[in-house]
Amino acid sequence: MELNVNNQKYSFEAEENMPLLWVLRDLLELTGTKYSCGIGQCGACTVLVNGQAARSCSIPVSAALDKNITTIEDSNSNSLLQALKDSWIQNDTPQCGYCQSGQIMNALALLSQNPNPTDEEIKMGMRGNICRCGTYPRIKKSIEQVIETNSKL
Amino acid sequence: MKRRHFFKTSTLASGGFLISAYLPFSCNEQVLETESWEPNFYVRIDPDNTITFICSRTELGQGTSVGLAMIVADELGMDFENLKTEFADGAIERYGDLQDTGGSNGLRMLWEPLRKAIATAREIFIVAAAQKWQLDPSDCFSENGFVYHNSSERKASYASLITLAKDLPAPFDIKLKDPSDYKYIGKRLIGERTRIIAEGKNPYSINVKLPNMLYAAVARCPTWNGNLIDFDDSKARSFPGVVDVIEVTAVEIQPDDFKGGVRSGVAVLASNTWAALEAKKLLEIQWDLGNLSRKSDTDVKEELLAQLEEPRTVTPEKRDIHNLFNRYSKGHEATYFSAYQTTTCMEPLNATAYHMGHKIEIWVGSQAPGMFRERISELTGLPEAAITIHNLPSGGGFGRRFHADYVEEAVLISEKVRKPVKLTWSREDTITTSKYHPYCVDHWEAAFNPTGEVMAIAYKGTIGSTNAYRPNPYALPMVHYNYVAEKGDRLLPRASWRSVFAHPWALGLECFIDELAHLAKKDPIAYRIELLDKAEVVEQVMEPWVGDNLYPKKLKETLEIVREKSNWGQVSEGIFQGVSGISYNTSYCSQVIDLSVEDGKVKVHKVTAVLNCGRVINPSQVESQIAGGIIWGLSAALKTQLTVVDGQVQQTNFDSYDLLRMNETPEIEVHLVDSNDEPSGAGEPGVPGVAPALLNAIFAATGERIRQIPIVKSSTYSIA
Repeated sequence: MELNVNNQKYSFEAEENMPLLWVLRDLLELTGTKYSCGIGQCGACTVLVNGQAARSCSIPVSAALDKNITTIEDSNSNSLLQALKDSWIQNDTPQCGYCQSGQIMNALALLSQNPNPTDEEIKMGMRGNICRCGTYPRIKKSIEQVIETNSKL
Repeated sequence: MKRRHFFKTSTLASGGFLISAYLPFSCNEQVLETESWEPNFYVRIDPDNTITFICSRTELGQGTSVGLAMIVADELGMDFENLKTEFADGAIERYGDLQDTGGSNGLRMLWEPLRKAIATAREIFIVAAAQKWQLDPSDCFSENGFVYHNSSERKASYASLITLAKDLPAPFDIKLKDPSDYKYIGKRLIGERTRIIAEGKNPYSINVKLPNMLYAAVARCPTWNGNLIDFDDSKARSFPGVVDVIEVTAVEIQPDDFKGGVRSGVAVLASNTWAALEAKKLLEIQWDLGNLSRKSDTDVKEELLAQLEEPRTVTPEKRDIHNLFNRYSKGHEATYFSAYQTTTCMEPLNATAYHMGHKIEIWVGSQAPGMFRERISELTGLPEAAITIHNLPSGGGFGRRFHADYVEEAVLISEKVRKPVKLTWSREDTITTSKYHPYCVDHWEAAFNPTGEVMAIAYKGTIGSTNAYRPNPYALPMVHYNYVAEKGDRLLPRASWRSVFAHPWALGLECFIDELAHLAKKDPIAYRIELLDKAEVVEQVMEPWVGDNLYPKKLKETLEIVREKSNWGQVSEGIFQGVSGISYNTSYCSQVIDLSVEDGKVKVHKVTAVLNCGRVINPSQVESQIAGGIIWGLSAALKTQLTVVDGQVQQTNFDSYDLLRMNETPEIEVHLVDSNDEPSGAGEPGVPGVAPALLNAIFAATGERIRQIPIVKSSTYSIA
């Protein structure tokens, strides 16, 4: 099988119904994407599939083969992702950090589709991502800061 | 908390003693400059002059490693950016109790010994340079890993001084840096780990991959003391990637101890995590569910309530206060209930173990790696010296990673297959077959004199004793009656859960004080302040990790500040406020919650918190911890709970154990009291005050006293 992740081709052998999450983590060693609930309830495994936020724990790899997958490891020209990471750092957002890859990827999808969301749209757009440490206020602030910077460009 | 290594700590804590230069070291041999050196257990100098802080504490997201590194950078006089941090392997012989991460004690317990150790290391290099240059040490100073001469160009790196320094006796009369010279302590510094996390590269143990490693998942008995009868693994074995299926023999679980104990189970070993987790679902297992299969949470409630009716007993030393309480007439009583909870760290419990027969290597995120090592030694019969525990950053701990069961399982499985094994608990495992915050029932009663003044209060319930984590700061004599507990096997084994018993304790005490204020027709904040004004300092230095006495004046100050910051009593129409003030160990936290209630729907608008945690090392992290603690407390007070039927937890995943989410999170404002007292903790003190402030605000809004959490448990209320 072949998968296109962060504009790089990866070859591997896997069962067709193996979730994308476990292909990324166990086979491709892209461990930035996290397992936490396995049923699409917490968002820790969020990646982008053709630009849309997707819960990689709930997508069989066979459904992702001809798609473009973006994960937290993406360091290429994607300036919005970099801006989000920078904002996360500036706001000292993570605590344990385990959910943050998923939070950042979900925020990336949110802002890609709606560069100027309202307060309510941010909250509702991010409610699928759980943070047990309770970093929601800083996640929200990090997103708002990127929106503000982008609106000045 | 029961800690068993205090006697070791007390020797370690005396600064200069930590210097390993005192160990016999040959003076005659030429030491190669290629060797690194640890002047003590907290710092290492490499030949290229890289300086590394060896962090004994676990990083769970509470930021301890960053705060401690700031202290090291300041005491050593070096740039924070150049200081590397790594985590110590589990080693009681190096750190004693100072390695256990719990009780929000990291900074407080290391504040003194760490500065002494680092200052001693700094001085030893200064003395070494002075000897080399034949100068007086007082003419030299140290900065950024170099020693300089005050009045010449002479300069020597620590690394170049290792050979000399190693043979020097540790200097005495070390002078610690004056706080006015701190460059970092007190600043909002962002640690390197924040960047690593934002790039998705934090090395959690769940990411470990070793050659020939097998991935394991375990099906555990749904009741904690039940046993395996038989299993059919034919379907599981036919799942692609499955390598083996083996029985996991139960190890006695200690339902109220930090030791682990392992449930009876069946382990699937596979070539990847998914195959292990999926094949586990295909196992057909017959369990003997045992005596607990006839017990439910409703039985626990009934049993505890019945015990509350039994005559109260006290230990002899409490008889005076018992008599005082009985001298007056009883006027008001209340019983508070709080539900079973689980920690659900976002990184599910996991551990990688390699049992090689004569030695064991373990990779794990643990809050007590030294204690775990001792436990694995006990379990396997190997000496502790043959067991290495690499302690990696954890995706949350909150107390759960203090309990060794998940590591014991990984070791037992690896012992059978003699390969490295990574055991991953599924989310369902962490909710259904774990260890838990207990169900609590707590009864409070007040005795009044004829003029209606409260003369004493009494507590009887599920909390063992009054102490620094559950104190009474008020000028109200209190009798703590012998506690009530389930008879026979507990329904669920207990684990620590962020703030532990301070959560139900504050629920009872801070709601009850509010009720007394209402009876006295006084403002709840003014009433508390009045009782704190009259209160004496509470002796609580009974255990070494407690640190200091309780100063009611400090709690009073946080209440005064929160009154002002929350615009107490001056909020817009439809908004109602509730207050709480708690002390936790040597931190003090007061909170005001603003909420509205419409048709039984409760909406929390804002939480204002004021914390006194002594000297603040890093305000960014302290504020973040308190906000996180408040969100943790809101989850438990508003909505999450575990219910237990026939010995089995009914919730399974985040759909049924639904934590607070961003759209339910109110505005949170955290204020820190400026203080030069010794630093104290921030990880847990945000939690206990949330539930009482919430219930007190609901009373303000509705006139109804709810006395149970989560509030969704009462049929009247839901969350807006």
